[in-house]
Amino acid sequence: MKRFFPNSTVKIDNEEKMAGKAIFTDDILCEEALSVSFVRSTISKGKILKIEVPTLPEGYFYVDARDIVKENVVSIIFSDWPVFADKQVNYYGETIGLIIGPSKEVALDLAKKVAITYQEETPVFEMTNSVIHKHFAKGDLAKAKKEADFTYTETFRTGLQEHIYLETQTMLMWLDGDKITVKASMQCPFYVKKAIVRTLGCDPDSVRVIQPAVGGAFGGKEHYPSILAAQLATAIVKVKKPLRFVFDRNDDIAFTTKRHPSETTYTAFVKDNRITGVEASVKLNGGAYIGCSGVVLSRGLIASVDCYTIPNLDVNGNVYLTNIVPTAAFRGFGSPQTIFAFEMFINHVAKALKVDPLKFRLAHLAKKGDITAVNGHFHDEIIMPQLIEKAMQMSDYKRKVKEYDKPNSNRGIGMSWFLHGCGFTGSGESTIINAQVKLVKEEDDTVHLYTSQVDFGQGNRTTLKKIVSDTLKYPENLVFHEAPDTDHTLSTGPTAASRTVIIVGYLCEKAAKHLKEQWVSGKRIEVIEPYVGPSYIRWDEDTMQGDAYPGYAWGVNIVEVSYDPITYQVRVEGIWSTYDVGHAIDERIVAGQSDGGLAQGIGYGMLECMDVKDGRFYQKTISDYAIPTSMDLPFMETALIDNPFAYGASGAKGAGELTFVGVAPAVCLAIEQAIKRKINKIPANPEYIMELVEHGKN
Amino acid sequence: MVNKFIPKSLQEALLILSQHDCYIMAGGTDLMVMKHRSSGLLPSFDKDIIYIANLQELNFIKDVSGSLTIGATATYSDILKSPIVPQLLKDIIIEIASPSLRNMATLIGNIGNASPAGDSLVGLYLLDAQVELISLRGTRTMPISEFIYGVRRIHREKDELIKSVIIPAHHFTQVKWKKVGSRKAETISKITFAGAYTLEKGIVRDFRLAFGSVSITVVRRPELEAKYIGLSVKQFKDKISDILSDYGQYITPISDQRSTKDYRYKVAMNIARDFISHIG
Amino acid sequence: MAKIKFVINHQPVEVDVDPSARLLDVLRNNLHMMGTKEGCGEGSCGACTVLVNGVSYSSCLTPMANVIGKEVLTIDGFNQTKQYRIIADAFSELGASQCGFCTPGMIMSTYALFLSNPRPTEEEVRLALSGNLCRCTGYNAIIKAVLLAAEEGEERGIKW
Repeated sequence: MKRFFPNSTVKIDNEEKMAGKAIFTDDILCEEALSVSFVRSTISKGKILKIEVPTLPEGYFYVDARDIVKENVVSIIFSDWPVFADKQVNYYGETIGLIIGPSKEVALDLAKKVAITYQEETPVFEMTNSVIHKHFAKGDLAKAKKEADFTYTETFRTGLQEHIYLETQTMLMWLDGDKITVKASMQCPFYVKKAIVRTLGCDPDSVRVIQPAVGGAFGGKEHYPSILAAQLATAIVKVKKPLRFVFDRNDDIAFTTKRHPSETTYTAFVKDNRITGVEASVKLNGGAYIGCSGVVLSRGLIASVDCYTIPNLDVNGNVYLTNIVPTAAFRGFGSPQTIFAFEMFINHVAKALKVDPLKFRLAHLAKKGDITAVNGHFHDEIIMPQLIEKAMQMSDYKRKVKEYDKPNSNRGIGMSWFLHGCGFTGSGESTIINAQVKLVKEEDDTVHLYTSQVDFGQGNRTTLKKIVSDTLKYPENLVFHEAPDTDHTLSTGPTAASRTVIIVGYLCEKAAKHLKEQWVSGKRIEVIEPYVGPSYIRWDEDTMQGDAYPGYAWGVNIVEVSYDPITYQVRVEGIWSTYDVGHAIDERIVAGQSDGGLAQGIGYGMLECMDVKDGRFYQKTISDYAIPTSMDLPFMETALIDNPFAYGASGAKGAGELTFVGVAPAVCLAIEQAIKRKINKIPANPEYIMELVEHGKN
Repeated sequence: MVNKFIPKSLQEALLILSQHDCYIMAGGTDLMVMKHRSSGLLPSFDKDIIYIANLQELNFIKDVSGSLTIGATATYSDILKSPIVPQLLKDIIIEIASPSLRNMATLIGNIGNASPAGDSLVGLYLLDAQVELISLRGTRTMPISEFIYGVRRIHREKDELIKSVIIPAHHFTQVKWKKVGSRKAETISKITFAGAYTLEKGIVRDFRLAFGSVSITVVRRPELEAKYIGLSVKQFKDKISDILSDYGQYITPISDQRSTKDYRYKVAMNIARDFISHIG
Repeated sequence: MAKIKFVINHQPVEVDVDPSARLLDVLRNNLHMMGTKEGCGEGSCGACTVLVNGVSYSSCLTPMANVIGKEVLTIDGFNQTKQYRIIADAFSELGASQCGFCTPGMIMSTYALFLSNPRPTEEEVRLALSGNLCRCTGYNAIIKAVLLAAEEGEERGIKW
């Protein structure tokens, strides 16, 4: 059989996944498990005055805020999300209680019969109630403003996005003796454990979280499973029997967390055709609870001028609470919103100045040594010019961008440039996460790697194992990396923020080096490798100043589209990408991240619409909310250029989010060229395109 | 507790229908979605069901006196494979749902469902299809435009089953189908359009337009068509605005989770204009 | 309840279930064959794809009444065959399976395609898989894997 990736490793769980043998949470046989049904708020905002539970048959239970053991709160960075809505509901669908019992049918029916009397309050759906405000400045914007010979202002909007992981939210919880044991579709076993421990106030050793196969996550299972776990833990203390649920798809769409919608306004101050200053204002819709929104805002603000160096900045951002399902983590975590906005903006500024956008952007592109938006430095070599050149070559960009500019070409090609800070934003790695990799050589000389990184498709279980076996120069089949079990592994932090390879992978490499130094055949040797950040990285969380990330990954996306002026529909004809991820530990895995990020990005940029109507999501099913099918995408071509990172395993940085954050502007710049109108919001769907073409300005 | 009947013959099915008011399920691709409650649970039916998918007597695609007749249990996949089915129907069907659903779902099921967004209906209206109903009392036939009278409203008596759809032969000069959805596959239509004309020595002898998903039923107005039949190609094109304006009053789309009424209206008109401007 | 007789993965079986029960639920909950997955419950995602008399069906929409006397093939049975091996090896080579949840459905749809069209074009592959959603791979590796499997199958003279 032809080889496409001769240097790649077969993934650990590949065979079982293809054969249908991988055990996902709902595949686990547990006949005694009781079914859990959710009693949810049917209003967007109000006080709960009375809860009337119907008479429950034998073996059925109702659980709500009154059953909370210690604390009715789930820590999701900020601790404002209650386990169960107590006297107040803040969004349609908020969980008030659970009905638990042996028959799912009966439990569902009983849940519908729980009668809640509310005192309704006026919900807020507009971004008016700011609960988090952040601000930073660089240089002297007032001076740039004064000296400007041209000023340009524009506002951009991005919409909600739903993860549509193929496996919906699901959890199985049981008591092993007195130990609460959980298997769930999740990204962060230690977050889940922490949530249970906090709400019950119990000994951490009395909770064990084990990762089964996980069918996709993309951020949607970073925080939300913690809420579900806290709810089930409260129940299991009362019921003392195994519990399980699987969300039906429509419930998953209606009630789980989404990407933060945004509104970003930029003003550029230009002198002699160079942007000398930018004023940026970012608004994020946090939904009903803050949760991780503060960090989403931080990342978005830090990325507010994308991969460009602008000498003078004034950046402010706000998170607003509204009465819809809380928004939370989703691949990119704030930066897709601002990268879309700034990439479109800088192209529009160039057009307004009547200068070539390519030259204009090149003139502002960040270089090694430049001061970042938050007054840190780009410490490492930036190879964007090579990435850009290669991508343009692959796609025949230069010829096409000229040709498609002709009137009625009905075609467009767009190129986006972007970066992604790898690792937890700011000082989180050292102050909050404190990852510790455990590497053990057993007496039989097999090597066992223990991390809390969850493989939900990105192949990290294999990548991290490969780092160890490559560093030890040891046969891959003698190195084992089991799925996380909180009883056996230390926390290496969440599976998020593109940190797995750059942070945890680096620790795996260090651990393997230390193991190699101490290697004695036939003896058990255990190495614990704690995270120590590069000493030159300094960050002040309060002022948001310094080096926000230990390293950055960089990328270029080029998207070509054709346009049908009769239906205003756009077809993606080609996608080409180049990336600097430092070094690809496994090229096949990185190619997979590229492909998936591009597809999801096309969805974000032009296909996926989620509107809010009366506090509820208007699109209710997996047909209403259209993600791309195999017929909506062409083949994608990806090339990597090595640029080894000093603090990365074999020089590797991160790739999980990089491959998503730049797609929306690439496709929108292409659509702009095809329709000859400016795009200011995504998704750039046919209905919006029609408005622009029929009523908009050129 | 509802009855679930699995008749072994058409006669048995008709006997059951004469005694019970039933949901009639063939492939199940509409009913199983509508009645789905939750994973692991039975779909919730509030009246008896009769399963007819296995009735081979209703599984036919044949020429009957020059008209194509398609039986109730012929699936979309069967129809796609048949050499005697007109291209218009195949173009429509290949864009319905997905490959596995096309293996299960039936054309008659789409008629019985009578959804305003039923794609095949647009083609069937254009082709002057007739619906054949059968019961113990006998058979009767009526035009599809009479059979469907509202959103999911059909003139089927409780004891009747839709036996077949009869499609007369046509020899159009040109036929066009256009489906506009949110994506290229597995999509419920925002707008659909079918158009056909016949030219004879530069004169338009037959002219038909049908629009779907823009009203409670398919929009086809034979009286408007009659107004313009007999004109020359040039006269036709000169009258594009009149034609569109005539149809415009019958195109009354809504805004919903898939699209807006403005978009649906404008695109319906754009497609129709494009079709008419290419006549000849 | 009714006694429904059919053939599952080449084994004749009789289950005592309600005729309106979904084939997907009977496969997973009665027969404990967990390879077929539920992603949406409305026939739109393809995770529940099985073969019935050699053509692909969405088992979440298939009532047991429609399975009487038919031959059902699921990934649990297919994964023992040499036809599966060729498809699986191609999937492995391209990295066509990431989280794995859509993969059994993708493989069953691929096999259904090969049964009627052993050397499809890229367009035909995209059409054949258009009912199988994937959120991880962008279909890139999957389409290439199917084309590779078709090529390999022809080279080896496999009878699908």
